[in-house]
Amino acid sequence: MTPILSTALAFPLKRSRFLAPITTCLLVLSGIHSTQAAPPNWDDHIRPILKNRCFKCHGEEDQKGDLNLQTLAAALKGGTSGEVLKKNRPNSSILLQSILHEEGVEKMPPKSSKLPDEEIELIRQWILAGLPEKSGSPSSAPATFAFKPSNPGTKPANPAMPANLPALPSAGKRANPVTALASSPWAPLIATGGHGQIAFFNAETKTNLGAIPFPEGIPQVLRFSRDGSTLLVAGGKPVQSGKVVLFDVATGKRLAAFGDETDTVLAADFSPDGKLVAIGGPNKLVKVFHTADGSLAYKITKHMDWVTALEFSPDGSRLASGDRAAGIYVWEAATGGIAMTLAEHKEAISSLTWRPDGNIIASASEDGSVILWNMKDGFPSATLTGIHTPKPQGKRYGKVPGGVLSLVWTPEGHMLSVGRDNAVREWDSNGGKLSAVEGLPTLPSRVTGTFDGKLAVIGDAEGRLLWWPKGAKEATLTP
Amino acid sequence: MNSPIPRILRPVLCSVVLLFQTPSVHGAPEPGKPPVSSKQTTSPLWHIWSDGKNSVEAEFLSLDGDFVQVRLRSGATHRLNLTKLQPADRIFAEKAKGFITQTAIPTATGSSSLASSTPAQPTNPTAAASSSTAGSIVPTGEVSFRRDVMPVFFRANCNSGGCHGAAPGKDGFRLSLFGYDAAGDYFRLTQQMLGRRIDLAAPEESLLLLKATGDVTHTGGTLFDKKSAYYQILLKWIEQGAQNDSANVAEVTGIRIEPAKLLFQGPSKRQALKVFASYSDGSSRDITPLALYVTNNKTTADINEDGLVTSGRHGATDVFARFNRFTIGAPVVVLPQEGTFEWPPDAKPTNFIDELVFAKLKHLQIQPSGIASDEQFLRRITLDLTGLPPTEDEIRTFVASIKPDKRERLADILLARPEYADVWAARWGDWLKLLGDTNSGSGTDTKAAVAYHAWLVEQFRNNVPLDRFIHAQVASVGSNFSQPETNFYTMLPAGNYEPKAMAQSVAQLCLGIRIQCAECHNHPFDRWTQDDYYGFVSFFTGVRRKMASEPREYYIFNDNSAPPAKHQLDQRPMPPRLLGGGEPNVQGKDPRNALADWLTSPENTLFATSMANRVWSQFFGIGVVDPIDDLRITNPPSNSELFEELGKRLVAYQFDQKRLIRDIVTSRTYQLSSRVTRSNKDDSRQFSHAPVRRLPSIVALDAISSATEAETHWNHHPDGYRGMQIYDTGRRYGSYFLACFGQSDRETSDATKDNREVTLSQTLHLINGDTIQGKIQQSQVVTKLLTAKTPPEQAVESLYLRSLSRKPSGEELAVFKKLAATPPTRVDYDRLWWALLNSTEFLFQH
Repeated sequence: MTPILSTALAFPLKRSRFLAPITTCLLVLSGIHSTQAAPPNWDDHIRPILKNRCFKCHGEEDQKGDLNLQTLAAALKGGTSGEVLKKNRPNSSILLQSILHEEGVEKMPPKSSKLPDEEIELIRQWILAGLPEKSGSPSSAPATFAFKPSNPGTKPANPAMPANLPALPSAGKRANPVTALASSPWAPLIATGGHGQIAFFNAETKTNLGAIPFPEGIPQVLRFSRDGSTLLVAGGKPVQSGKVVLFDVATGKRLAAFGDETDTVLAADFSPDGKLVAIGGPNKLVKVFHTADGSLAYKITKHMDWVTALEFSPDGSRLASGDRAAGIYVWEAATGGIAMTLAEHKEAISSLTWRPDGNIIASASEDGSVILWNMKDGFPSATLTGIHTPKPQGKRYGKVPGGVLSLVWTPEGHMLSVGRDNAVREWDSNGGKLSAVEGLPTLPSRVTGTFDGKLAVIGDAEGRLLWWPKGAKEATLTP
Repeated sequence: MNSPIPRILRPVLCSVVLLFQTPSVHGAPEPGKPPVSSKQTTSPLWHIWSDGKNSVEAEFLSLDGDFVQVRLRSGATHRLNLTKLQPADRIFAEKAKGFITQTAIPTATGSSSLASSTPAQPTNPTAAASSSTAGSIVPTGEVSFRRDVMPVFFRANCNSGGCHGAAPGKDGFRLSLFGYDAAGDYFRLTQQMLGRRIDLAAPEESLLLLKATGDVTHTGGTLFDKKSAYYQILLKWIEQGAQNDSANVAEVTGIRIEPAKLLFQGPSKRQALKVFASYSDGSSRDITPLALYVTNNKTTADINEDGLVTSGRHGATDVFARFNRFTIGAPVVVLPQEGTFEWPPDAKPTNFIDELVFAKLKHLQIQPSGIASDEQFLRRITLDLTGLPPTEDEIRTFVASIKPDKRERLADILLARPEYADVWAARWGDWLKLLGDTNSGSGTDTKAAVAYHAWLVEQFRNNVPLDRFIHAQVASVGSNFSQPETNFYTMLPAGNYEPKAMAQSVAQLCLGIRIQCAECHNHPFDRWTQDDYYGFVSFFTGVRRKMASEPREYYIFNDNSAPPAKHQLDQRPMPPRLLGGGEPNVQGKDPRNALADWLTSPENTLFATSMANRVWSQFFGIGVVDPIDDLRITNPPSNSELFEELGKRLVAYQFDQKRLIRDIVTSRTYQLSSRVTRSNKDDSRQFSHAPVRRLPSIVALDAISSATEAETHWNHHPDGYRGMQIYDTGRRYGSYFLACFGQSDRETSDATKDNREVTLSQTLHLINGDTIQGKIQQSQVVTKLLTAKTPPEQAVESLYLRSLSRKPSGEELAVFKKLAATPPTRVDYDRLWWALLNSTEFLFQH
């Protein structure tokens, strides 16, 4: 079952006087299928709502704004504002925005109160499910791609491990949250960012391998090169300075530095061939440098808010960037020309991560969802919503902050995520649920997976590391 | 950057350093000598500043307005402007305040109750200086986020509406406005962007601190320096791990201000306020350095950011301290410097109104004006009660009468006139947003609007008690044709029914308070919380409208099973709750009945006082609370005793509006002349003289029509209808005059929608526009005078009486004769007519 189905069908149907006919209709359907079965469809659910609410102005008789909602085909055509329904993308569909009375769109129905929440939810689930026309319409499910592992690099003869680094100094009075975390692609090596330093750990022995100083400030991003020999460290001091520094993993030697920013660097990556370094941050810019001479290759000015996530595709042809205002773009990595706009999230993007085969990019957001984007057409192939929403404690009303804080693909094609529900979760290559540990002692801030696929490593808000053998019942703190 | 030397002192310092280098200067510190702390000085009167290189010692000498005189050890003196101090210069301000608090109180005289409420002042100057520093607000033990940290954001204006308290935050960081959502603020500070705003590993490098001290770019600038208590609180909190509070942290339950009243004799006197907060655990503490201060009238009493009040011009006002969600006020009275006040012997009270107004005037040492002449009184009361000027005959009869109670008799006659009801129906039409529309799709149909208007007229013609008048509308059910009072729920902006808008309107109309601020956050300047707001909204969530037997008709009913409103912050359902009252059990019932009962009950002083205040404002142009529908802690009555007594009387009169009006118009206060005296020229709030008021738009138009006997024609209305009788706004019929003179567009319930301002376009319209010219051309008044061969003196007198309600003076008559032909022609009379109608005396009530 696709993840959509797992989330889509839990639509909460509160009984309401207004909805009585529709609810009854659903219950009849539920008798045929199981209650968890099909998503709402046009014929049975959506058309009756629209008929009741919209046809008077957007039907056969009158087509205000050139929009006719009488038939599914006509509705898909849209009106003067263009398409009003986007398959699998409810948040981007103008029809849903209008009935939600969101800012910047015409509020529908005009001059009267919103549709009942239940009807809006049905429409949202219907769009999410791919606008199925009839019960069980086969073509409505989004495309999925089987994951075929393809090795993105060649294993070096002796994967780099740090040696003879100075011991880990005391981090200060208290430790900051783990703001950056990375795993070597070829060795049992974990790098973690603390205040003014990067510490290394052996993933097998869970012992500390020393640290390298980062006087530039707090590291926000750590990335190993494809061969595991170079470590990219990006960060800085908030509202003061930001930089990207490349270190030699074995010796801790500084190799190069890029950028001279006025605020910390929040997102960075280097291209698989090591020729480009991209950075982004509060200045809303994506800057891409040539590593050879440090010169600026190009600058992207399209983001409207802080750039919070960046990643080159595994083949190096594309660069994806995401921002604090939920915008995601995919660029031609060589030129910075735009390739795709991935609009569907509602809040800040926390992670962007490519499936190792490059067919899918996964985005994680503070809105609590993870979306797997099909890189062939730019449409979501799976939308996982509310996956890190904390369980309500006692009687609580309203929206609980449930952001996804960190998301990463592991070499075998699985995903690991951590979020504000104090849980770490593992997902299969198409977003299917695998295993999870809930109730971690503190808020997990970053997650990564070891090179051999055995462990998930979690950084927490108190600066500690937790180690989770995937599938195990609990994660353990560094001894 | 963080030098404790005040910026304003820096220029002074240059000269001081020079003086120090002169050998003849006595007591100059040697160069390189470490800065001396105030504890080490031998003379407590010497205060020291140091930036590490130079140090200055100075003695406070005296206060002079906003200036403090200091004498340096060199003997040189300097004047420093206290109001120009920057936040970074807090240490100087605190020391100056220490000086002020121990020498400058009390300069006030007169009130013994005040003297006893003044806190005892320390006698030792250094003790005064240190006790008034902000040091005491830094906790010695664990720093609490809610108790200690949140108040710093409040005091430093971090969470104000123009900064991070704005709905979308500022530069990406949001705090709840004035701190109504502590849990959300804690999340945003510590967890929203992990590792950015708070640096636990190196607390002093936390962005929060660097921004506040201006060490990194900050749009909001430097808020405080590292030595300040505010900085110490934040730093200590981060050093302790930036912990959240445990669930049972003590909440602020109220604040107290000392002294509770301030009295000054003469300008430029100073007094420091102290503010104390009490907490739910029973504790209380001095939060003077954490409160924010504001004055209602800077020219009478100014207050600075440390709570120091400076007296100004003769008069009364209030100063306020705000802390947490509480606001508290202290009335300030500034008496004239010279104490030779005498009450005019003839100014004797005739009823309770005079007693209360005169008591306040005596307290403020303001003399009332003399009594208005018969002509002035007649014009004033006739315009106020009927919306029309008195006729020639009425003037002649009234002036000629020698009955001692003729003014009281006149009041009774006018109160019985049918025009009285038209005036009040029009006023309430404004407040109730009464509008009709021929397209029932975009508003309430004309037929319903006409019915509603007729219902209003009927209520006032029958003098229906105000409690019943309001009750009938708030609890109304039925067709808006046959039960016109249900149109209370149909007169809506854009035709949309919205429970929140309804709740706001009812609070504003019936209680004189504006609760809309509390929709998104606790009311910053009043006591209303979001809980109060959503509880009140829940009375209106069940109101439904359905089409009745014809498309133009609505049927209003209540869905008794409708869910209550949800709290904006956490979506909690809020059962119906009365403002400041309890939660009536309305399960399965129409909650509006319980609401209407409570609203109009005699115990509900908010209702009685606000209704009485609405009545009062009709006769003085302003309310005792003004605007009349904006009572709040920060907008108190100008005379609380009067405000409360008016409400009590209305209750005692069983909400008989006419009886209250009779008290008002027969009071000496109402009958005072508008001519000001030297003593009361600055007063505009204490009713020491009659206000000079521009005629309301409709009254002005009707007065022109009535004086010229030239009717105004209204579409859809029979001939002879006055503007005051129109069910809708006249401006909707394209009356430029009414729009120009500020007639309410009836889009909101705000009483200030009926704009009484005087504008240049009004003057230009009267001079050049078609209203006066047209009426004069239409008028038969001059024609009749000429036809009857009226002698010029009588003709001029007639025109004067019709327009200004008085006879011309001999001088005025002489001027007319000099300018006019003999005998005067039609042109001469028309010109006089034009000049009279264009005069300020005509357009104003006085």
